[in-house]
Amino acid sequence: MPDVTLYHWEPNANSGKPMLALMEKGVAFNSHYLDLLSFDQHAPEYLAVNPQGTIPAMLHGDRVLTESTAIMEYVEEVFAGPRLMPADPRDRWRVRWWMKFMDQWLAPSFSMIGWKVFVGPAVRDKDPKELQAAIERIPLPERRVAWRKAISGQFGAEELEESRRRVALGIRMLEEELARRAWLASNQYSLADINGFNLAYGLPVVWPELSNDELTPHILRWLRTIYARPATKACWAMGRTSMAKRVAILEQPQITPGQPA
Amino acid sequence: MSTTLYHGEPNGPSLTVLAALFAKEVPAELVRIDLARGERHTLACAQEPQVAMSVEGEGPVLLVEGEAMTDSVFLACYLDDVGPGAPLRPADPYGRWETMTWCRQIIERTAPAAACLGCRAHPPEADAAMLQRIGSADLRARWREIMAGNFSEDHLSDSRTKIRLAVEKIEIRLDGRQWLMGTFSIADIESYAWLAGMVSLVPEAFAGRPRVTAWLERVKGQPAVTKALSLARSADPAAVWSVGPEINRWG
Repeated sequence: MPDVTLYHWEPNANSGKPMLALMEKGVAFNSHYLDLLSFDQHAPEYLAVNPQGTIPAMLHGDRVLTESTAIMEYVEEVFAGPRLMPADPRDRWRVRWWMKFMDQWLAPSFSMIGWKVFVGPAVRDKDPKELQAAIERIPLPERRVAWRKAISGQFGAEELEESRRRVALGIRMLEEELARRAWLASNQYSLADINGFNLAYGLPVVWPELSNDELTPHILRWLRTIYARPATKACWAMGRTSMAKRVAILEQPQITPGQPA
Repeated sequence: MSTTLYHGEPNGPSLTVLAALFAKEVPAELVRIDLARGERHTLACAQEPQVAMSVEGEGPVLLVEGEAMTDSVFLACYLDDVGPGAPLRPADPYGRWETMTWCRQIIERTAPAAACLGCRAHPPEADAAMLQRIGSADLRARWREIMAGNFSEDHLSDSRTKIRLAVEKIEIRLDGRQWLMGTFSIADIESYAWLAGMVSLVPEAFAGRPRVTAWLERVKGQPAVTKALSLARSADPAAVWSVGPEINRWG
């Protein structure tokens, strides 16, 4: 039995970051799938592991680690396998800068829209009493607010518009950075690319008018290159929902604006 | 290697980077800018994405061989990597994970709360021409709100709660230890840098917290922190604030 257990949802966003990092490093782990849409992450069995009820969490021996980006840095430092952080200190700074920019500025905007179009509708039809009880079990007050909004479709027009602005600007910034070099933050594949792929793999499906081979050739080249890696293929094969399966769009050699996804 | 640090008064992110720079004995040219007047936006590198879009808001800029670098915790990690001074992060990966998650909590929860309360008590002021230069629309919007004095009661009360929770967490963490990570680290510097100015603004958070009170003095007495604070031009650098990171938009 491996001494690593990962509690995760889909290969997507925060869950997918340590999944892909472990798989790139060739570290075997017990996969413990939590169904976010059934609120497994707020069930007593999981709260006993991570009282905050956030996904993912990793057990290494008897230690519990949370916070997906920090887990990736731990995985990189503690296990052998290919290096996922550059050796140069300034490159390492750039990896961290991009990860924070994505984690704190860009991803929440992607996720607000993702929750509106995917998570909210996916759980909305459940029994209202069951939903209410599920929300009350959420330990973090901020997450309670987020779930209430997603379920009742209460995101305001203004905040959705601000999220769309950030998505469009973030896509332009990624395209410019990836025009400068092969990888996002340095000249080697790194945690920043793993982080970025988790955020951006669905771009050409969700935002075909903003991200396609004509407008953002460097982003598409980058996404396809990462998708071609054996670890990425194996990781996304662990997906169970239509959300993770969107990754298949990267098998298309050419994605043009307005193309039906 | 040519290194220049553009910094403001030794408080918040400027204090973090100055203290890390001195602790790690990294030679650098120090250039004072008035972050509370938005002067970061007059730098030649102001429109570089890593400066314009820094999540930290009005923090210092480290220029290394022409590359403009921002975000104080990661600048401290960089300085820890390159400088000869005593390490500012634990050596073992688990201790480093603890340091990064600790700092992430401070960055994401404590810093926006402290910047909100600090800016309300000691508002920064940029003129119209300066505001025009700000590359990030959301940062510019935060400047406008703060200068107009728009602080909702919810926002203020949430900020006070976040300060109280941070202090409580430190009090618990310091049970049986002198420093947050065992030895003096980036976590101590970063936590101190955002909280020092909160003692007078949220006194109830610090009442009955003897370990935090002693720790604040201990951090202040570290030679690198003392040296950073000695650069202050105002009587109380912990009362000088500029626009900080945004409060989480959701979730």
